[in-house]
Order: sequence, then C-alpha cells, then structure tokens
Amino acid sequence: MKLSGAKALLMLPALLLLVAVFLYPLLRYGWLSGHASSVLTGLRPVPNGGANWQRLIEDVRFWKDAGQTLRFAFCSVALELAGGLGVALLLHQPLRGRGTLRALTLLPWALPTTVMALGWRWILNDPHGPLNAALRSLGAPSYGFLTTPATTWFFAVLADVWKTMPFVALLLLAGLQSIPADLEETLRLEGASRIQILRRLTLPLLVPYLSLALLFRLAQALGVFDLIQVLTGGGPGGSTESLSLYAYLNAMRFLDFGYAATVMLATFLLLAVLLGVGWLLLRRARIARTTGGPA
Amino acid sequence: MRLLVLLWSLGPLLWQLRTSLLRPEALVAPMAGSNPWTLANYQLVLSGDPPFWRYLTNSGLVGLATTLLTLLLAVPCAYALQHHRGAWRWGASVALVAAAMFPTVLLFLALLEIARSLGLANSLLALSLPYTALSLPLAVLLLRAGFADLPGELEDAARLEGLGLGQRLRHVLLPLLAPTLASTAILVFLASWNEYAIALTWISRNDLLTLPIAIARIGGSSVFTIPYGAFAAATVLGSLPLLLLVLLAQRAIVSGLTQGAIKG
Repeated sequence: MKLSGAKALLMLPALLLLVAVFLYPLLRYGWLSGHASSVLTGLRPVPNGGANWQRLIEDVRFWKDAGQTLRFAFCSVALELAGGLGVALLLHQPLRGRGTLRALTLLPWALPTTVMALGWRWILNDPHGPLNAALRSLGAPSYGFLTTPATTWFFAVLADVWKTMPFVALLLLAGLQSIPADLEETLRLEGASRIQILRRLTLPLLVPYLSLALLFRLAQALGVFDLIQVLTGGGPGGSTESLSLYAYLNAMRFLDFGYAATVMLATFLLLAVLLGVGWLLLRRARIARTTGGPA
Repeated sequence: MRLLVLLWSLGPLLWQLRTSLLRPEALVAPMAGSNPWTLANYQLVLSGDPPFWRYLTNSGLVGLATTLLTLLLAVPCAYALQHHRGAWRWGASVALVAAAMFPTVLLFLALLEIARSLGLANSLLALSLPYTALSLPLAVLLLRAGFADLPGELEDAARLEGLGLGQRLRHVLLPLLAPTLASTAILVFLASWNEYAIALTWISRNDLLTLPIAIARIGGSSVFTIPYGAFAAATVLGSLPLLLLVLLAQRAIVSGLTQGAIKG
C-alpha cells in the first residue's frame, strides 16, 4: 500500500468533478428546498421552513405526474425487455450481413432523442402525417393522435421503445454470446424443443443481463424528459407530463426555484428507493437460485 | 423476421428522408402532374442563419472535447481503482454504477446556477465539463474492466525494467487497451452528441446551439407551422454523421456495451 497516496492523487481530478456535478446539486437542492426562491422573493432564497415540502405533499399535479411517470416507465421498459429479447435472439443467429444488420438496428438508439421525437410528431401529424393518410385511404376520418390522451400516451411509449429497444437488444445479445454453444447442443441432442431450451437454459443464464437492462432502463425511463418535452410537451391536458418535465417547468417557466429543487429532490428520492428495492429483490432472487433455492 | 426488424428501426428514418425530398405542397396534398421531388429543403436548411452545419460543428466540438477530457480523467482513475485492494473498492463500484444510472435532467438546475455564477454559460468548451462528469462513471467502469483483463505479469516486467507509472501506461498498458479506449470514446461521444437538458439551459446564443437543441427549436414553433420539409432535411443531415459512425464502429460499440454489461 506504499503507493496509495499516489493512487489517491490519480483519482482526485475525476473525483472532484464527480462530486461537483452529482453530489453538489443534491446538497444544493436539499438547501434550496428549505427556501422560497421565486419571482415573489426577487429570485433570492428566503427560508420558509418546510413550506415547500408541505406544498409537495398536497400537490395533486406532482402525485398525478408521479403516477404517470411510473406507468410510462413500467410499460415501456416491459415492452423493451420483451422486444429486445426477441431482437437479440434474432441477431444471435448466424446470418449473412449480421454486422450491418446489427448496426442498422442500433441506429435509433444512436440518434438524438429530440430529433426523432419531432420525426414522430410528423408521422402522427393531423391531418398530413402518413398514419392519417393511411387512415383516410381506408375511408376513415383522420385522427388527432397527439390531441387524445390515450393515443398520445401510447405513442410516447412507442417512441421510447423504438429508441431504446436496440440498446436492450445489444445488452442481451452480449449475454447470449456468453452462453457456450455446446450446452445448447447437448440439450438439443437430448430432444429438448427450442422453447424448452429457451426456458431451461437461455433465460436463466440471461438473468444477470436482463436485470442490468431492467435497472438501467428503469432509471432512465423514470427520469424521462426530452422525449416528452418535444413529442407531447406533457399534453394533452398534462396527461403525459413526467416528474422531470414538471420539475423543469417549475424552474424555467414558473421561475420557482425553491419548489423546483424540492420536486427534483423528491423525484430523486423516489427513484433511489424504487431502484434500491428493485436491486435488492433481483439480488435476492439471484442468490436464491445459485444456492439451489426454489427455481 | 429480419425485414420486419429492419422496417421497424429504419421505417421512421426513411420516412424522414422521403419527407425531406418533397416539395412543401406535396406534403399537404398529392400533386398531380408536376414533379414533387426537390432539394430545396436542403438548400433552405444549409443557407439558414446560422447555416445548419454550424450546429454539427458545435456538437462535434463539444463531443471531441468531452471525449478527450473524459479519457484523460478516466484512465488514471480506472487504473488506480483497479490496483486498489481496499474495503471501499466495492463501495466505489456501486457509487459509479449509481452515478451512471442517474437521470441527468435532475441535475440541470444546480449546474445552471454554477454556470451562471462562474460565467460558463454560452461556452461550448465549458459545456464539456458537466458532460465529462456525466460520462465518467461509465468510462471508468469500462476502462477498469479493460485493465482487469490485461495480464499482470506484463506490468510487473515493465516495472522491473525501471519504467515509471507514466511510461508503463503510455508504452505498455494503453496500447494493449486500445480497443477498450476506442469503444469507450465512441460511447462518450454519442452521449455528448445527444445530450439535451443541460445544453438546453446553458446555451442561449443562436450560433452556439448544439444539434439536439437546434432541432428541437424548430419544433418549438406552433404545431401548425413546423416546416416539416426543412426539419426533415435537418434530421437527415444530423443523422448522417451518426449513421457513418455506427456503421464503421459497430463492433467497438457492441464490445463496449458488452464489457459494460459484464461489469455490472
């Protein structure tokens, strides 16, 4: 351990930057959430006791957004895992041009979210978008996909799935490639069907990769911001507003920094608890299996 | 099946391509007779004020600065972390994973305050500071996995030869780490190229906007007046560099994500 001083020095710059960008904001929000800092106070922080937190507890919009964010995140992550698994299985098969196919499937993930969010807005445009053109050619009237809450929500999930499913697929593909091919071969020779192989061999071995994808995607989906802001603006009637968008609006539109900080900190805590519990559950499940517990 | 997957992931993009090549009138109603195809949308976008390529170079500049700075900070950090056998090693890993998962939009308000008080707003190079911090956790995790894969005897031999730490890194370890460095660099560059919330709040000068913000601004106008043809042309132009990057670096991206997965 004679080098440990030098090692600490090697880590110092990175550590300082991480503290400034991750830790400082959380501390700052903690402080700001005990203050009123808005247009009413001349944008200067004035201590207001627990008023911000009191307001948060009674804020119908916050809790509605929390519900909407959870629903959005769970639905889109579930679809991404299912679809990503399918795509990963497909890409795992030896095919000609697999590399190109992989790159092209990966493309939606590599593009900026805002770019394709606007692309989706054009596709869903009423009445000129292709989806409405198709409806009309079937003799149906055109439909306001982004002015009806149910369809707006559906297409927000769809756009998120479209963009992030390739990422999940690639993670799972990495998992598939770590499974020795002869294991599968042995099961096949024993007469196991493809479904049986999938259930008895592939899926159990993919569990670490599935949990990783689940936690990562859940964290990102619970913090969804740019997609919602550009695709729906939180509308119609606030029906797709996410917690992050609400926090953003509090800060940048209502210029209520004290309350915005409270919403951000609350969102972070909510997320940390959810992911922490998820992580513990997944870990327990994994330990139970590897120690021969009930499968 | 393959076609279906391709259609799913490329369909929306191809539709943008088609839209970008149509005359504005042809978007609204099928045109009889005259030729509906045009390059006018591209001319409009490229001759705008500022011209569209400015956003590309802005994003490219931030991306390059972020990538360089991230590697510069992450390599020593990953090396030290890999060679440290202490009780807090596990804690450091958990903290890095947690930071890598952190939804960045929740940070923007405090970062904006810092930027304003230090006069860093409206500076592309300053923007690469928070970007570097956001990319560091993943980069350190990937590089540490890379260091762990290198045979330890190699470095011991170099140490016996009397090479200092800097020399060992430069002449022995980093050349062997080149594939990991490449895939880390690409992932960092992509993240920086696509970042939205911080760029949205830090940059207000028109000629300094990064690509995602510039494009979102087009959509900021009313739903009815979005110039979809010009916007589609902007999308296509903005996607081309990424298309090239993904096609060329597909292998590096996949191996980067793979290593990330194994570490977790």
